[in-house]
Formats: sequence, C-alpha cells, structure tokens
Amino acid sequence: MAEPIIHIENIHKSFGHIHALRGVSLDVEVGEVVVIFGPSGSGKSTLLRCINHLEVHESGLLVVHGIHLKGARDINAVRREVGMVFQSFNLFGHLTVMDNLTLAQWVVRKRPKAEARETALALLAKVGISEKADCYPSELSGGQQQRVAIARALAMNPSIMLFDEPTSALDPEMIKEVLDVMQTLAREGKTMVVVSHEMGFARAAASRCIFMDEGQIVEEGPPDRLFSAPEKERTRTFLSKVLQL
Amino acid sequence: MSPLGLFKKTGGPGARRPAPGEDPVPTREELGRVPGADLGYRLDPWWWLVVAITGLVIALIVWRADPFLDIFLFVRDGVVVTIVLTLSSFGLILIVGLLGGLGRIARNPVVHFVASLYVEIVRGIPLLVQLIWWYFAAPVVIQAVGTALHISALAEYRANAILLAIIGLVVCYGAYMSEIFRAGILSIHRGQMEAARSLGMNYFQAMRYVILPQAMRVVLPPVGNEFIMLMKDTSLVSVVAVADLTRRGREFMAVHFNPIEVWTLVALLYLIMTLFSARFIAWLEKRRGVGSS
Repeated sequence: MAEPIIHIENIHKSFGHIHALRGVSLDVEVGEVVVIFGPSGSGKSTLLRCINHLEVHESGLLVVHGIHLKGARDINAVRREVGMVFQSFNLFGHLTVMDNLTLAQWVVRKRPKAEARETALALLAKVGISEKADCYPSELSGGQQQRVAIARALAMNPSIMLFDEPTSALDPEMIKEVLDVMQTLAREGKTMVVVSHEMGFARAAASRCIFMDEGQIVEEGPPDRLFSAPEKERTRTFLSKVLQL
Repeated sequence: MSPLGLFKKTGGPGARRPAPGEDPVPTREELGRVPGADLGYRLDPWWWLVVAITGLVIALIVWRADPFLDIFLFVRDGVVVTIVLTLSSFGLILIVGLLGGLGRIARNPVVHFVASLYVEIVRGIPLLVQLIWWYFAAPVVIQAVGTALHISALAEYRANAILLAIIGLVVCYGAYMSEIFRAGILSIHRGQMEAARSLGMNYFQAMRYVILPQAMRVVLPPVGNEFIMLMKDTSLVSVVAVADLTRRGREFMAVHFNPIEVWTLVALLYLIMTLFSARFIAWLEKRRGVGSS
C-alpha cells in the first residue's frame, strides 16, 4: 500500500484544563473522503485544525504530505498542500470574489496575475457563480460565500481539502448547493477530510466515517456499515439522536 | 447618510408604478444623482463652516488691514512651519504606531515587552515635558556621550530645534498611535488570519494583504482624531525655539502689544487648518466606506 497522505499517531492537545484530543490515530490515503462526526466538544474540529497546524499538537506524530508538522521548518510548505474551508467562510471582506481567489495565488504561488485570473474564473464556473466575480462577499448569500471559499482553497491546487463544518452556518435551502460542490470534488478523487453532521453527504460520498467523542476516535468504518450497524453503544446513542431529525 | 439626504424621497406620493416589462421612469432624484455620489463625492455639508471661517479671516485682513494684514504677513511663515511640522511628524507617527501596535500583539515576549514598556512610559509623561527634555536635556546627554567615547561629531552636537521637536512629537504620539493600531488589528476577526495562513501566506503577508487593509478602515476615525490633536499640540513646540504659528504670534505681540487682534487671528488660523483637516478626514472615511458594513 502507498504511504498515507496524512499520518496521525497518538496525538494529544489541551486548551488549559480541557483535554481536547486524547490520543488520536488516523491514516488517510490519497483519494479517500473521510467524514468525521460526533457531539460538540468531541475534538473533531481540533483534529482538523491540527492537520493544518492552526493548532499545534502537544505530543504524538503528525505527518502530512511527508512533512513532520512538529518542528517543521517551513509550515507554509504544508499549508500550501492543504486547503481549508471554515464554518464561517472567512472570505476577505475588503476584496472582491475575484481578488479573494487570486490573492494567495500571486502572493504565495507567484503566479502571473493573468494566469491567476484564469484559474479563478475556471473555479468560479465549477462552483457555479461565475457571474459574481466582481461582487464583494457581503453581497453574497451564505451558500454563495461558502462556494467562493471552496474555490479560493482549490485555487492553490491543494492535494488535501479540509472542511470544518462547512454547512453548519447555512440556511437549510443553501446547504445542498454547497454539498453538491463537495460531492463533485469527491467524485473527482480529491482527498478530503470533512467534519460534518450531513449524514446524507456521508452516505453518498464518504469512503470512511469516523465517530469521535471526548477527544477520542470511538468507531470507524464505511458509512453504510457504521450507520446501520454501529458496534459501540455511544455511537448508537448519538446516531439515534442525529438520524431521528 | 448626510443630513441633506434625510430630505430626499424616492418617487413621492403621486408616482406611478411602472408596468411589468416597462423600464421604470427615473425619478428626479435618480436623474440628479451623480455616479459615485453614494461613495461620498457629494459635498460634505460641513464645508460651509470652513468657508465661513476662511471668509471671516479674509474679511478681517481686507477691511481691517491695520493690524490684521500686518499680523498675517508676520505669522505666515509660522503657519508653514506648523503645517510642515504636523505633516512630517504624522508620517513618522504612522510608522512608529504600526510597529508599536504590531509589537504590542506580538507573541515574542521580548518584542511585546519592549513595545509595552515604550507605551507605558511615554504616555505617562506630559508632552510639554517631553518636548522640553528633548530640546534641553537630550543634546547635553549626546555631548556627554560623545566626549566620553571621543566621538567629536557627537561631542560638538548643537541642538536642532525643529528636528528635536519632531522627535519629541513622534515619540509621544507614536505611543498613542500604537494603541490605536493594536485595537484596530485586534478588531479583525481571527478567522481572517486563519484563512490567510491556511492559504499558505506567512504572518507578514497575511498582515500586509488581509489584516491591515481591513484594520485601516476601523482605525481611520481615531487616526484622524490624532491628526487634528497633533496639529493643535504642535503649538507646544513654541517653547523650544521653533518659530511656529504660536511663537510668531507671541513675537508680534511682544513688539506691538495688541493681544486681542493677535490671538484672535492666530486662533482663527488654527481653526481653518483643523476644520479643513476634519473635512479631509471625513471625505477619506466616506471613500473608504467607514461606517458601512
């Protein structure tokens, strides 16, 4: 088997008294779509943020794209390979949609502006909002903003995409347009790690689902198996609450 | 919205609704609207005050040439000194304030400590005392150091009043400006920094392209306030041998002894400069969209 693109071994992370991650281990292969779910405070977002080094783990091993994150000399080399989509979009409010997509391309990737623009236009077409290129983020709906955020991350050609509850801040009728874009990416074989409670998306797109609780991975498996026949009691209790909705 | 905007109404009670498919008939307001008016190019109504005070000063000089024309001709080089002093100090204050503000939020404990120490010490000493220290005490210190180290350029240092006044103003106002920039940077949601970093930008690129442009919009009103305060506080340099507007006024009065006319004109000249600055700042704020989301 090929080297996993993300290798996590027994990592720990605390915020003051709160022990957010208690020995998490996880390998993600190229092309996998991993969906992480669990109650709030279970450490799933923290795990995702550690992969991008937005949080620094205290102990354990975290290797992304062959680079050990602990003490990495150039953390930006890792971040360039990892795209991140946030719950609250975090688009740059002072820039147009087009500039949101091109800024990092020429600042970080040093692409000529014309080439950056071309990449941006292609990606905007892909997420279905070409006509909004010259709008400011405040002029867009939540669903449109999140699609721009996905396009912005993709513009850097990352080999891994991380999604941190990408639909939690959206009105119900906008969730589908974002999930559709994510599903397209999954079909194209992009490596994705998604923190989400969208079970429909997990069923349709995930190659593996992970249930986390109290800073640990409780159970993992293919979505069909995990949702219909969970082995652990905690997983069953949580799923019965979520799937009832 | 400008106070004038309150009286503008769209359509009016008799306006006919356009039928579907028909181009709406432009209202009088729409026809009169200049492109870009919403961005603040409409004349700010407070300009009338600038015009009124300027008119008053011109009237005094023309119709009461004795003594107002004489006073004006005598103090006008002081006006130039005040403006040059204000503009040159302010440019440096912005740089010091930016560095100080970044230092105050730095994770590096040494940088944070140095920046905090600077702010705490400087803002605890009156500006007048600081200016006097720079003019009377600093040259002596420089000469003593030069003598001790046998550096003749320093040992023979002669105080340059304007330069030391600028240093005094920059050191003092830089501390206040640091706090303004710190607050402005902290007001930007940390998700912006995280988004920039997760795209692979380093700290300085994220600051330069993402955080600071948004923080500038937030700090523009207090920074404008500092500019006007600085313009008035430059009058303190008149005690350290800088021939600014205030000092020139005092020199004229010492000869002719007409305090009412001299100090009224000096006050009005300061007022014109500060009112004009206030209008300029208001224009900048509108152009940068301060106050809109």
